[in-house]
Amino acid sequence: MTSQTTESSPPPAPRNRRPHGKFRRRFAGALAIGIGLLAVGVGYDVVKPEPQQAVAQDNAALVAQGQQLYYNNACITCHGANLQGVENRGPSLVGVGDAATYFQVSSGRMPLARQEAQAMRKAPLPQFDPNTEEGRHNLDALGAFVDANGGGPQVPAQTGVALRGDDPARGGQLFRLNCSSCHNFVGVGGALSSGKYAPSLDPASEEQIYTAMLTGPQNMPKFADRQLTPGEKKDIIAYVKSVTNGNNNPGGNPLGGLGPTSEGVIIFVVGLTAVIGFAMWLGAKN
Amino acid sequence: MTPEQLARLAAELDDVDVVHNGDKWPIKGTRAEKRAERAVAAWFVLSALAGLGFVVAFIAWPHQYVSPYEPGYTMYSLYTPVVGFLFGLAVLALGIGVVAYVKKFFPDEVSVQQRHDGRSPEVDRRTVMAQITAAGKDTGIARRKLITRSAGAAAGLFGLGLGVAALGPMIRNPWKGGNDAALWVTPWRPENGETVYLRRDTGILTEISRVRPEDMEPGSMETVFPYRESERGNEEALLHAQRASDAPVMLIRLRPGTPTVKRAGQEDFNYGDFYAFSKICTHLGCPASLYQSQDNRILCPCHQSQFLAAEYARPVFGPATRALPQLPITVDSQGYFVARNDFSEAVGPAFWERRP
Repeated sequence: MTSQTTESSPPPAPRNRRPHGKFRRRFAGALAIGIGLLAVGVGYDVVKPEPQQAVAQDNAALVAQGQQLYYNNACITCHGANLQGVENRGPSLVGVGDAATYFQVSSGRMPLARQEAQAMRKAPLPQFDPNTEEGRHNLDALGAFVDANGGGPQVPAQTGVALRGDDPARGGQLFRLNCSSCHNFVGVGGALSSGKYAPSLDPASEEQIYTAMLTGPQNMPKFADRQLTPGEKKDIIAYVKSVTNGNNNPGGNPLGGLGPTSEGVIIFVVGLTAVIGFAMWLGAKN
Repeated sequence: MTPEQLARLAAELDDVDVVHNGDKWPIKGTRAEKRAERAVAAWFVLSALAGLGFVVAFIAWPHQYVSPYEPGYTMYSLYTPVVGFLFGLAVLALGIGVVAYVKKFFPDEVSVQQRHDGRSPEVDRRTVMAQITAAGKDTGIARRKLITRSAGAAAGLFGLGLGVAALGPMIRNPWKGGNDAALWVTPWRPENGETVYLRRDTGILTEISRVRPEDMEPGSMETVFPYRESERGNEEALLHAQRASDAPVMLIRLRPGTPTVKRAGQEDFNYGDFYAFSKICTHLGCPASLYQSQDNRILCPCHQSQFLAAEYARPVFGPATRALPQLPITVDSQGYFVARNDFSEAVGPAFWERRP
């Protein structure tokens, strides 16, 4: 995919003034040694044998670490020591899987600040920030622990831009059929009953949109892989990413993304004022 | 007579009296006049440049879709604004140039025209009428009844045709077909004994994806449309099934163990935890598809009606007074969902003849 390579390629380094003579030779030598070392390192990494036995060990260690995180981050308060849930506090987590854990914790919805109509998106706990190495590892560990108790939907293997499909037009059709009734046609969200709401999709990452479709957080219905195939989910993500966060907004101001109502009011007020002003200038005597 | 004299004569004949006619620039060739001329010309030049820019941008600016995370998106996204701005500027600058020219260079003139009496003089009226009568007599139209009548028939029928063409589409009998009238039946009605499957929309019209129970997780909802095997490959029929306003159905899979209440006479309309309800709100026909999977409420976004999916979609809030009609479904021998019959009542908003 072209977008992938362009996204991941580093920006060109600022052009320095050319070092002269000795400096230049020294610099070239250092660069050659650096490239050599790097090539050897990468080559070793590719060639070295995979430690087959250690994987299972790693997973057990990961689950154990996830259990510690589960106990230490107040999850246990509402979901119980054995993930069975606590009456009037939190639901059972048996069978919700890795994907639900990733969505709820990485988007800051869990741990819950207080009991209310629905969990709100907020900044994730620093130890679960999906933008840091440690956060991703801790999310993996917590997910592995929850997954070890009843299985459930999995976080997709791909991440980031790799989760965007190639057909945003088809994604748009599927989005308007399956998602837009609650999330609005450009994903700005909308109200539901009794204080609940469908959130805006602007801050959601590709992984979060994917895992949300898979697990149906809060009042959202679930979209299993046989209902919306992984390819269809990726097309939907491509569409969402192409219209949210100020994209597809050539006019400069989305006016709330509400469609003809706000746009009509603005063109009526601003446009009519301009037309009246022009008419007055036409009729004015010097 | 010189042209100026002729122009003055024309004004006099029309009873126009030029009281004052002062040139804007009585002294020719001043710097102020030159500046005014340049200002007007600048608007026209701006208009010409914008027009040229419009043609160039219309042809050469990249207009093929580029997704926002690919290079070249900024240029693509500016296509419409650039084309619109340049075209608008060309028109606006041309108009401003014309108005500016009138304001800066047309002479200040104050003229008075005498108002005529109400009707034309007697002699004019009588002579004009005599002229028309004489013309009619000379062409012989009064004597030639055949031509008068055939011309009248032609003009009259042409007018009638226009009227029929304009009003005809508005005249429709909604009760044509008796019990099979359009308001009573939906595309789910079985025809010739053919099985009606529940089909999902994958965004590709000819890709047939029939729904099976194992496709859906508990707590999920899917919009389904009617599909018959005889429609495979028939794009017109497939499109009609997806676009017909009374076709969309919400297939909902409740969580196991959800306490449900079924409507009298519709106890066997569901298949296990699967319930199929019309998506069309019974209040004013909006698509009521905001399904809340935790409390099993179905919301209508237009007027905030709420229906309980676990209790035969009966209305619990808002202006809707009737439950969403339920489609009787089952699973065939191959494991696909099929509709057993059409809805047992009319879908959508109420109408006069509808029994409650």
